Amino acid sequence: MSESEPDPESPERESGDLWSAALASLRDELRRRLSPNPAADGDAGPGFDWVALGEDLRRRFGQLGMRERSGEVDDFGLDPETIRSARPLFSLLRKRWWRIEVVGLEHVPDDRPVLFVANHSGLLPWDGLALAETIEEAHGAARRPRFLIADWLITLPFVQPALARLGGVRACRENAERLLESGRSVVAFPEGVKGAAKTFRDRYRLQRFGRGGAVRLALAAGVPIVPVAIVGAEETHPILFKVETPARLLGLPFLPVTPTFPWFGPLGALPLPSKWVISFGEPLATAGPGGAQANDDLLVARLTEELRAEVQRLVKAALGIRPGVFA
Amino acid sequence: MTTIGITGLRTFLGRRLAERLASEAGLRLVGLDRLRPHGLAAGVHFREIDLTRPDAGSSLADVFHKEDVDVVVHLAFRREPTPDLDGDHELETIGSLHLLHACAAAGVPRLVVGSTTMVYGPHIDNPNFLSEEHPLRGHPHAHCVQNRVETERLVADWTARHPGTAVTVLRPCWIVGPTYRDAVTRYFGRQVVPTLMGYDPLLQFVHEEDCLDAFARAATGHHPGVYNVVAPGVLPLSTVLRTAGKRPLPVPPPLLYRLRAYPSQAQTGDRPEGFYDYLRYLWVADGRRGWEAFGRPLYTTREAWMAAISAARMRSYR
Repeated sequence: MSESEPDPESPERESGDLWSAALASLRDELRRRLSPNPAADGDAGPGFDWVALGEDLRRRFGQLGMRERSGEVDDFGLDPETIRSARPLFSLLRKRWWRIEVVGLEHVPDDRPVLFVANHSGLLPWDGLALAETIEEAHGAARRPRFLIADWLITLPFVQPALARLGGVRACRENAERLLESGRSVVAFPEGVKGAAKTFRDRYRLQRFGRGGAVRLALAAGVPIVPVAIVGAEETHPILFKVETPARLLGLPFLPVTPTFPWFGPLGALPLPSKWVISFGEPLATAGPGGAQANDDLLVARLTEELRAEVQRLVKAALGIRPGVFA
Repeated sequence: MTTIGITGLRTFLGRRLAERLASEAGLRLVGLDRLRPHGLAAGVHFREIDLTRPDAGSSLADVFHKEDVDVVVHLAFRREPTPDLDGDHELETIGSLHLLHACAAAGVPRLVVGSTTMVYGPHIDNPNFLSEEHPLRGHPHAHCVQNRVETERLVADWTARHPGTAVTVLRPCWIVGPTYRDAVTRYFGRQVVPTLMGYDPLLQFVHEEDCLDAFARAATGHHPGVYNVVAPGVLPLSTVLRTAGKRPLPVPPPLLYRLRAYPSQAQTGDRPEGFYDYLRYLWVADGRRGWEAFGRPLYTTREAWMAAISAARMRSYR
């Protein structure tokens, strides 16, 4: 919206005579309306109240600014505004609270979607969030991966809407396919709830990798798989034991007992300040998209086992990097 | 000359579709309903049919024969649930059955059936975008949705048995727009809107004109199959309310269901779950197939919603 002052020297002068006449009359009208003092009528330059004009324009076009504040979300419910406002908290958590050490980031291609396959731990998806923030910091918002969240988190009120705005998507084949198809990276935790809900005794021991869905997905979409080890999330909510009878009354799959939950109530949802290491492995390249390999069940099973071994190896190596649990 | 028969002429979609198609060249419109509508558009021939009567099938077949109907557009469904559960079932499910029998008897070459994406049902394990192949689970406490699910099953069975008829099923999501009114727009029209505490599902709307476009193209073209009729984009419930300037009143779901139990039963014959679960879980449909067949909608979900609320704001001054 530039102030359109018709320039007498401009070549449009002849063709735009009508146009400039209209503009001139509009300008006069504006001057008459905006001038604080009727006596100043016709006085061209100094009496013009630019402040009022600016105020008027600001009011008129301010509605466009409302867009920023009206909760624009993408088709999976990710809200950039929420991510922006949560960023200080997450960088505090990542840099000060968990002191995350990132290893092997050079293995992650920054020019195309990838499927991250990571070990799952901790009750709340801090691992997925930390990974998404790490990648966004390194490769920009367009490459921020969406993390898949298990069904039992979807059932939780308040948690589900918050996670959706931060980029969490319900873990199912259709969603992951659609995300990869549209060029967005995905973080999958093939261990699923078994991984998130394992007790402290079994920490860093990888569970079965589902039914090979992650590998099948990557083969079908033709995207590379990046194995990721996330060490430290295990200790954010160490599950001492699980109780099942009261959980069944509440309709939850299990009720965890951690050093902080349920003793401190909702405060128990705060993660412990363990030292984290996120380690990326060499990408496992898959053939081009629409590969028939996705239908080869034996191949999928073999690749899934290889992937699990690779993630386990990365976890062991990352545990070696870490000087101590809370160090 | 193509003759198009529209059942449910007095419904919003039936009436507007008849008006729109009547102005097109080369089309003859036959409107069917229980009662003659007021202000019938010029060029629409009205025939009286009561789909709830036991002999509706043969009288419909008669009309289709005599008028030599080439396309039947079936829109005789309730706009919103009524407390008359049996009546709704008679009209929606059994009425559709009569219509299918009549189409078979008259050998109608093309049939368009209006459904809704509500037939997928709000479920916690829905993917973010429901494709047309997703099982129709409906909602056990929404009797009109269950009628639609049953109707769709009848239509699917019938389609398999009658390969000579090209059947198009259109599933629009919640329709909004300057003139469309139903239970959903009434719910969003309140100043204080009760919502479910802790839930903020993504919603999807389609503008009334886009919906009518899809129906008009389905009626005039050859598009056998099932299509979701939805607008691109989604809006969280909280944004829907904020952009409309409404105040949300979050209530814990068990409390809301208990509070709304009696009024809801009286108004709709259903428990409140039948409506409020659609504001609790995700049931967004994937519209890509429909956009390919009928063209991309003019309005996104957000634009459709803005068009509806700006019209609603001005309504009292017109």
